[in-house]
Amino acid sequence: MSDFRITLRPALGSAPRPASRGLSITAMPEGHVVQVLGRPHTPDLFGVLERATGAAHRSVRAAGPGQWFIVGDAPLSRDEFAALSTALQPHATAVDQSHGRVRIRVEGTIVERMLAKGTAVDLDPGAFPVGTSAMTLLGHVSVHLTRIEIAAFEVMVLRGFAESLWEDLVRMSVEFA
Amino acid sequence: MASLISCPHCGARPKEEFTIKGAVLSRPAADAGHQAWTDYVYLRDNPRGTHREYWHHTSGCRRWLVVTRDTVSHEVGFCQDAAAAKLAEVRP
Repeated sequence: MSDFRITLRPALGSAPRPASRGLSITAMPEGHVVQVLGRPHTPDLFGVLERATGAAHRSVRAAGPGQWFIVGDAPLSRDEFAALSTALQPHATAVDQSHGRVRIRVEGTIVERMLAKGTAVDLDPGAFPVGTSAMTLLGHVSVHLTRIEIAAFEVMVLRGFAESLWEDLVRMSVEFA
Repeated sequence: MASLISCPHCGARPKEEFTIKGAVLSRPAADAGHQAWTDYVYLRDNPRGTHREYWHHTSGCRRWLVVTRDTVSHEVGFCQDAAAAKLAEVRP
């Protein structure tokens, strides 16, 4: 038995808050992130995903062909994950990534202008409406972008890159202070 | 070098999101001769004009694509998912 006790601490607990008035950057609750990988050549899985997520406070985010993320603000218990995983079988496989990916909420009327400094994705509301997701690079960091409200984006990033990305976002928003 | 690749899954994206593997070649049979395998593994043409290449959308949908581009004008033509093209050469 190890003498170490594993302590869970938020990835962005000590990150400084930005001083910008036009934009707010907040760490979202580290609830759960489940990656879903569909079997090749499976027809549209959207119905299966809808049923598997149920009425719980979870959202399904597209992440490329045959790949999705199921995210939510509340931690997922072992039983809940098992139920979710079973509901997706045999069409898709669920992988718990709650420990590995961090979500950041970026909000403001000029949020697209700030994010456009880092990514080439067309973020115009016409081309990227609410609910749309894209895997892309933000600077040199690979992120998953989702428009969750008309003026708010969720930026999901690997945990190890979270603090670095946070600093990038703060620097990108300095102009709009 | 072409700077915007129109990924069939993600739309137009900058080349920084991609990794280039190289020319699309058909893989020889497992028992093909030494010469056929040497050609396949080591020898490449350096064509002037239209060129078909494997590109991997590493920072996007993570799919292998077949991109047709012009090595003279840098124009990007047809982009297609490698699986859709049923090209058996791509191995994970």
